[in-house]
Amino acid sequence: MADAAFRLRVTYGKTGRLRFLSHLEVAHACERAVRRTGLGYAVTQGFNPRMRIAFGPALPVGSAGVAEAYDLWLSRLVPAAEALEMVLVATPAGLAPVDARYVSDKEPSLTAALTLGEYEVVVEDPGMGPGRLAEALADVVGSGSLTIEHKGAMKAYDLAVCLPEGAQVGEEPGRATARMVVHMGPWGSLRPEALVREALGRMDARSASMTVTRVALRPMEG
Amino acid sequence: MTARWEQVEPLLANIERPARYIDSEFGALHRPDAAYRVALLYPDTYELGMANQAIAILYDALNAIDGVAAERVFVPAPDMAAAMRGAGAPLLTLESALPVSSCDLLGITLPYELTCTNVLEALDLAGIPLYAADRGSGHALIVGGGPCAFDPEPLAPFFDAFLIGEGEEAVLDIVATHRAAVAGGLDRSGVLAALARVPGVYVPSLYEPAGDGLGVRPRAGSGAPVEVVKRVVRDLDEVRSPACPVVPYMDVVHDRATIEVLRGCTRGCRFCQAGMVYRPVRERTADSVVRDALGQLRCTGQEELSLSSLSTTDHSQIEEILRRLGAALRGRAVTVGLPSLRVDAFGVAMARLVGEGARGGLTFAPEAGTQRMRDVINKNVTEDDLFDTVRTAFDGGWRRLKLYFMLGLPTETDDDIRGIGALVSKVLHIAREATPPAQRGGMRIAVSVSTFVPKAHTPFQWEPQLTLEEVRHRQSVLRESMPRKGVELHWHDAEVSLIEGALARGGRELAPVIEHAWRAGGGFDAWTERFSLSRWLEAFAAAGVDPVALASTPREVGTPQPWSHISSGVSEAYLALERERALSGESTPDCSFDGCTDCGACPQLGVDIVLAGGARG
Repeated sequence: MADAAFRLRVTYGKTGRLRFLSHLEVAHACERAVRRTGLGYAVTQGFNPRMRIAFGPALPVGSAGVAEAYDLWLSRLVPAAEALEMVLVATPAGLAPVDARYVSDKEPSLTAALTLGEYEVVVEDPGMGPGRLAEALADVVGSGSLTIEHKGAMKAYDLAVCLPEGAQVGEEPGRATARMVVHMGPWGSLRPEALVREALGRMDARSASMTVTRVALRPMEG
Repeated sequence: MTARWEQVEPLLANIERPARYIDSEFGALHRPDAAYRVALLYPDTYELGMANQAIAILYDALNAIDGVAAERVFVPAPDMAAAMRGAGAPLLTLESALPVSSCDLLGITLPYELTCTNVLEALDLAGIPLYAADRGSGHALIVGGGPCAFDPEPLAPFFDAFLIGEGEEAVLDIVATHRAAVAGGLDRSGVLAALARVPGVYVPSLYEPAGDGLGVRPRAGSGAPVEVVKRVVRDLDEVRSPACPVVPYMDVVHDRATIEVLRGCTRGCRFCQAGMVYRPVRERTADSVVRDALGQLRCTGQEELSLSSLSTTDHSQIEEILRRLGAALRGRAVTVGLPSLRVDAFGVAMARLVGEGARGGLTFAPEAGTQRMRDVINKNVTEDDLFDTVRTAFDGGWRRLKLYFMLGLPTETDDDIRGIGALVSKVLHIAREATPPAQRGGMRIAVSVSTFVPKAHTPFQWEPQLTLEEVRHRQSVLRESMPRKGVELHWHDAEVSLIEGALARGGRELAPVIEHAWRAGGGFDAWTERFSLSRWLEAFAAAGVDPVALASTPREVGTPQPWSHISSGVSEAYLALERERALSGESTPDCSFDGCTDCGACPQLGVDIVLAGGARG
């Protein structure tokens, strides 16, 4: 590890076409953006030196985010606003940073700290009647658990644990927005779209299109 | 024409690896107001195409022209292609999501034979008629280039023109000629006639069978040249090298900054098409290599740099280049890679200069197992060279080694094959002796064996390829001769080689074969899991062409070949002489070290060897 390292927490978005990137692709793109800035970054020691950078909880392919985060260790202290501007210039618009501030090195890692994700799932289906999605979602949540298939394996989520605040639905003609807070932990990270898809299945509206956005990440205590 | 992104976007939720289709990468160039639009197609998926240097170079060169936009196109993977057909969405360019069919010119690079079915897949998805004869003034001009353009005939009926040789300067001429011809009101045939006058451009519709063998000749009165001579850049430092190539999001093949340090290789391996068709050797100076490498790293943010060429460690200033880059990149966590190493201590020393230790593997290509066989192919490497190199590498801490060999070379006997096994056994022994016992568990020695395919424009272009049965016999001889333990053995699929060989030596009679293979479900044939020998054999049978006869019948020196009207600059007399020397086991020195060997390239092309350091040694 470099002798002096200053931990800069960068908040960024994953929006537009770039929501189709995987977590690894996002991480790689942000790392390259940092290299383009000319900022002095700390490098890990060892056989295969790498930039010291650590990302928050993963967002799947297809999901957007407006307040994602990574921690970057700089070898030279640069005012946070200046660093933000440098990263902004070097980053593709769909991953643009919105905030940068220094945090103490004693703070836990982003993945350890940020275990709650707030999501909005917008469902577009002109044929969907009023109140139906809210009803179907309440039905799914009320059942207590959700089993989904992921890469050929079945996985069951305890909804009382994963969705501590349940799910709320706002509606306007032809469009409904489900809001929920997902608790991530050793059991994994429930995908909000899986929950909504299950509800749509019960409504026989599987063809509805969905856009998922993680609007905030926060710690459990907050 | 309007952009069609909204037609494609809904498809992305249900297909694999959508990052292939979203554009928006850092370095992607958008020129919405350009009057002339070029689509540059690599006939495979995004992750392969983004590694291609020709596309990167031409993208940069064309976008630098006022009023011209160049945009990238890759072949959608089968899941996306099916979704696009289902939704009625045509093939689009990445940058502006415009239909490829609306572009003025579609440039297609042809990296290897088996991408031919993907060319048809792309044309069909784009809604462009497959055959040039069915296209008119309203259609994009389809121009091919790259290695397979040196034997263009199998694909000739699908293309309006081919560029033979290096593209940096020639594409500018092609675009200027096309724009002028269209502005002058010329129809399609007028445009093609104008293009045929551009040096290095071959317009197949202006040629017909020569009637005296496999060759073609210009139609009477067409004005097309009897021989199309390849384009060549005189001095690499005089052409633009991409300063800030597109930075992909997804994990592509060769995901790194790349600087071409030299072009051409005159080691003279007699099976190697690249070594014959990219002559002469032209090195970039150390100053420009270091400047452009650092500039590209700074601009792209890439964490790895490759110094590419056919023989990078032959560069007369390679040591200086590596020392200067090493000093400039210290502490930046940037790795530098050398794609090909000389089989000698110098090669290992250069690998050490960039390796900061010995974590990676080393790759060498002895190609053959006996000295006799190496003399036949002009691989001027001795057993002792290889053993010394391996000893130096394993003494120096390397633990991973990869060796390349070929099977089925002209004059090869079973003893030559057993020689490969014996050579590998000795290498294994030397590597073990040089490795402390506690570390021997980490040793990895891989041997990769391909099948010889005679290629156009090489001294072996007249030689037959082994039949499938014979390849299998020789593979079994090799398997039996290899050490039982400690070596990972990989084969190139013999069935793929057969089709590759037939396509590499054929003429226009292969166009219907390719079309049939594509219509029968072909595509991505270079991917082992997608290749089907039976589909290809049916396609050959339907067209009445015997692939085995095409690939495995020896040809007479002096008779016209399907590529005889294409000149790489190297004379046919030289190729024939090299073949004779091969058969008598005589080696030929490298002209970039030891003086001219009269291959004909320099005088024919009006260029000369360029050595940045003045001399190699």
